[in-house]
Amino acid sequence: MENVRSTRLPGKYHDAITRWQETFLPDLPLLEENWEKFFPRDPKFQLCAYRQCDMCGVIEVGKEQGKPKYQKATDMTEEQAGHLLKAIQAQASTEFGSIQQHQLTLARAQDEQDQFWALRVMAEELRHGYQMCHLLLEDDWKAVAPESGEQMVEEILSMRTGSHVLGAFNIDFDSFLDNIVFCALIDRVGKFQLAMQKVSAYQPMAESMPPMLVEEAFHLTAGVVPMRRWVSQAAKGKGFITMDAIQRALNKWFPRALDMFGDERGGGSNVKMGFKPMKNDEAMGKYIEEMEGIVRTLNVRYVRDRLPKLPREDAYALLDRVMESGDPEQGVRREDLLALPDKTFLRRRGIWAYEMRDTTGAEIKDVEQYKRTLYKTLPDAYPQGRDFKDYLRLVREVAAGTTTKEHAVGQMPELSRVGGVCPCARAVRWVVDGNGNGAH
Amino acid sequence: MADVTLRPLTELDLEAVTSIDEKISGSYRPDEWENRVAYYIRRDAELSLVAVQGKDVVGFMLGEVRSGEFGLEETAGWIEVMGVDPDVQGQSIGKKLLEGMVKGFKARGAKKVRTLVDSKSQEALVKFFEATGFKATPTRLLDRPL
Repeated sequence: MENVRSTRLPGKYHDAITRWQETFLPDLPLLEENWEKFFPRDPKFQLCAYRQCDMCGVIEVGKEQGKPKYQKATDMTEEQAGHLLKAIQAQASTEFGSIQQHQLTLARAQDEQDQFWALRVMAEELRHGYQMCHLLLEDDWKAVAPESGEQMVEEILSMRTGSHVLGAFNIDFDSFLDNIVFCALIDRVGKFQLAMQKVSAYQPMAESMPPMLVEEAFHLTAGVVPMRRWVSQAAKGKGFITMDAIQRALNKWFPRALDMFGDERGGGSNVKMGFKPMKNDEAMGKYIEEMEGIVRTLNVRYVRDRLPKLPREDAYALLDRVMESGDPEQGVRREDLLALPDKTFLRRRGIWAYEMRDTTGAEIKDVEQYKRTLYKTLPDAYPQGRDFKDYLRLVREVAAGTTTKEHAVGQMPELSRVGGVCPCARAVRWVVDGNGNGAH
Repeated sequence: MADVTLRPLTELDLEAVTSIDEKISGSYRPDEWENRVAYYIRRDAELSLVAVQGKDVVGFMLGEVRSGEFGLEETAGWIEVMGVDPDVQGQSIGKKLLEGMVKGFKARGAKKVRTLVDSKSQEALVKFFEATGFKATPTRLLDRPL
């Protein structure tokens, strides 16, 4: 990378993240040992923060457009600094959170290359988390944060699946299919957020983005390429991952991806304050468009491998007809193909939060019928988890009128954080649930 | 004709790249392009380029910066594969892609740009590279069947 400066956090923070890695990413040494085999010629992984040096120094969007970018938190208003600090903390939480999720099912990969690709993704997410800690520790956030940088880092490192800031990072992976679909869908939201933050009025944030975006590009590839291969295998009647399984994984992750953009009606403050160039609905719209393109190309891959003698243009036309009419052609049925769920399906934030709708967006009036629909459209293991149980409880309460939609949206994860070092987990802190039961 | 712009290759371009290759070669080779695209993205996600006209990807050029191979010590940019949609050829899209790649190579410290072309079966490519300043070198590719 040209014009990139690398730095290491002060010793105790670097060591804390290394200890965290030993617990939640124990396969990092395995990745390092096999780096040349799977990533020949690529620079070796390094746990450090990178900053791009030749970034624009002038605020690019918002009320202060044209003025010099903020070099320090104290250059901003209290409102701006507070807003930005929350964004950095949330992002740090997602980076560390995704590693905890990937680790659950990493060993179940059927293909060694897919596994090492996912392992590299995890290592780079660790670096991204490190990068966010760098932003928290490099500056003085005292004016807007009750905690010190040290406490903020400690809190982030103590989070576990269930206590992260954003919903997508509180859901357990059920199989290696989740590792891959997560890369293709959730990391893609990451790409949008990073690309938007590249124009951030806070110079250290803007400078952190380009190296992260370069790494993120591979993460998306590590999602889409294995998905294409699985689709190809499914079309040929080989392999172990069915189109139905991929569809269910899409149904599980796409709503969480949309929630990550925030409420469709919001995002104006980010633009006004110069932190992002797009409001939530605009960014989400572009994301949906990109995902529609991916699903179409996966379907093209399926049709062409299913009917290898069919010329390209004819395959496109057949795909369009089957998707539109629902009538099977040459053995290709609509249910064999993938479809992106409607943007209203299974949402927990925004306009459609806690509404009961199916994957086409059709409203469902009865909670039990809704539950049955979810069982039919989500991966088998997902409804057995706590996340689903909590979600359905809130749906019932909203439907019964005992909880407002706004209250349900604001519900934080059930887990709460408490002090104390957990010696066996070697995490900085450990986590207990609301009933005071140990979480490990 | 809409303007042609360049942007880095991404995983979203897989279908378009496969399709351009199919139009040129007559072979549908998605597996090969998945491997190649993944390789060039992981090597340097901002170096390899696609040409976009309107909303369509109409060309691509993939390459990387390397050094120290076969005694060729100096850092060089290697153009390894390219393709322009036959429907839009004749609009200098290849030249634009090459200019974009050369800029990227220079920024990464390359002192030369190299490529390998089969002078018998890829006459048009030879002409393209000669017209853009490439010259044959005494270094020869040698092979033998195994």
